[in-house]
Amino acid sequence: MDTVLWRRQLLAIVQLEWKKTLFSKRGIWVYVLAFLPALLFGINAYRVKSIRAEQERMSVSAPNASAVSNKIVAGMSADVAAEALRDAKIPYSRFTRGRRLEVIRYNDGANAFDLMFREGALVDKRKRNQALLSDDIRAYAGMFQYFYLRLAIFFGCVGIFMNLFRGEMLDQSLHYYLLAPVRREVLMVGKYLSGLVATILIFGTSTALQLYLMLSAHSNKEVSDYLAGEGWGHIAAYLGVTALACVGYGSIFLAAGIIMKNPMVAAASILFWEGINWFLPAMLKKFSVIFYLQSLCPVVAPLNSDIPEPLKLLVTTAAPISAPIAILGLFTVSIAVLAFASIYVRKLEINYGAD
Amino acid sequence: MSDSATIVFEDVSRFYGEVLGVNRVNLTIPPGITSLVGPNGSGKTTLMNMMTGLVRPSRGTISVRGIAPDDPQALFRIMGYCTQFDSFPRGYTGIQFVTAALLMQGLPAAEAEAKAWKAIEKVNLVEAAKRKVAGYSKGMRQRIRLAQSIAHDPQVLVLDEPLNGLDPLVRSETIALFREQADRGAHVIVSSHVLHEVDMISDQVILLANGYVVAEGEIRGVRAEISDRPHQIVIRCDQPSRMASKLFEHDHVVEVRIHPDRQGLLVKTTDASHFHKLLNKLALDGIYIDTIAPADDDVNSLYEYLIGDEGGN
Repeated sequence: MDTVLWRRQLLAIVQLEWKKTLFSKRGIWVYVLAFLPALLFGINAYRVKSIRAEQERMSVSAPNASAVSNKIVAGMSADVAAEALRDAKIPYSRFTRGRRLEVIRYNDGANAFDLMFREGALVDKRKRNQALLSDDIRAYAGMFQYFYLRLAIFFGCVGIFMNLFRGEMLDQSLHYYLLAPVRREVLMVGKYLSGLVATILIFGTSTALQLYLMLSAHSNKEVSDYLAGEGWGHIAAYLGVTALACVGYGSIFLAAGIIMKNPMVAAASILFWEGINWFLPAMLKKFSVIFYLQSLCPVVAPLNSDIPEPLKLLVTTAAPISAPIAILGLFTVSIAVLAFASIYVRKLEINYGAD
Repeated sequence: MSDSATIVFEDVSRFYGEVLGVNRVNLTIPPGITSLVGPNGSGKTTLMNMMTGLVRPSRGTISVRGIAPDDPQALFRIMGYCTQFDSFPRGYTGIQFVTAALLMQGLPAAEAEAKAWKAIEKVNLVEAAKRKVAGYSKGMRQRIRLAQSIAHDPQVLVLDEPLNGLDPLVRSETIALFREQADRGAHVIVSSHVLHEVDMISDQVILLANGYVVAEGEIRGVRAEISDRPHQIVIRCDQPSRMASKLFEHDHVVEVRIHPDRQGLLVKTTDASHFHKLLNKLALDGIYIDTIAPADDDVNSLYEYLIGDEGGN
């Protein structure tokens, strides 16, 4: 085995490929997918800061707001509640929803509330998003597992890894690689590594940015308490899971790009397989990527009670396994997929020119 | 000649589903310039692609100087292939394109770049080397592909329609480059539609039609094998009319045409060796013969005799 030569060739392939992969015009939508959550958390950071500013203003303009708010209890009439708020100089908005429901919305400096009045009497006092870090951590867990892993990284890897071979076939430029004195397996691994460099850079940067934006909205004390506790562990886990998602999905879509002609059929089939992971018997669960990734996520993703039962089943996390087994399992699946793809890459033919 | 010095096709066939690419090809190609000639769809590119491992034979075996085409690591140390696919990896300049191929040979970056410049010099593209390939003219793209295929000094150079898009000056320089490669003992396998160029550059030809090899060998040797077509010979002499009447006395002379300037004639004979003996006799009889030249031992004639109108060339 000429390992020195292979190492040089791998390095050459990665050097040639990674920039091409990273800066491809064809891959702009991958950036959009990757950085959409960062945009959302940026907007959330702005919202949280606004709420915080409002709360600070309230603590000055209405120092007894909390006490007044506590006195608003079920059965109280809308007019009485409004008068109490007015007397305490707490700004509020009053509106109707439908024909019978009246709502008073206010912020007492610590929390935001929606008071729901039916037939003029208070029937429900709902605490709205309080802009707490703990809420954002749970929201992030949901976004990360239901959107970022299952859709953004998934389709990002479709776009990047499938194009490594299939895209070059469409561009009629793959033969340049096949005309080099490089073993096909070495070529495949080189392209896979360049895809990994690109995806880990894109999605890892986005994960880091999302976490930064999520934390940046909160007070220094909240953030330092979180980091002193499990915060750094969460950050490392999210970054690690992001990288492992690229490893797992990357291997699958590289193989799909070599074996299948239509990337959309491959992506849809794999998305379906990953989607039904919850229903699969224990043995089959191990042949998916999401199973291992979800086991490694540091926070259990919340499920909204409004989600219909069938959909809830699809997005529910399977029983997690330990981190070392999950990492080992994911690498085993990825290596098995690449080994399978190497059989095809050895037989790969260039036939895009007419004789 | 040993296997390590020749390219050997043994009973090679390739089918694309139901469609025939090439069928039952048996060839032994020695070093030198070998031209593949045939109409579109005759199997030229299929042969080249199989030789280079881009396509696998459905049946049979191929050996390129003792190396199987499914061993790219060994094959492309000794082989360069200039394909006719006019596409390039996106964003590359000429020098990057050639250097990239050398880097994948495992060469250190500095050595790869030095070799790339040398190859680019050989194809006279130094001035444009730092420009993006996407902005090149067709001829320049052809030359940069050629530079990439010769950059590692291959012993086997496979060139699919390499003269397409080149202007006359560059064509002659490129042909000289092929000759230089052949003279150092390399195999230069060329496919071309331009028959007079094939004639000019080839040491041997392989004629293909409908996926079959219809003839192979040195051009004159191939012509000599074609017995069902009379040989055409041009003679310049002082008494063309007398010579014509003397020639018609022999059965193997089937046609004689006197040249309009009345200084020569075109003869068609079915027996070339008898004909040459006859000319000696006529010369002794007092007819002054200035020159004798075959008129149909070129690729054009071979193509016409063996492939006919199928090629449309």
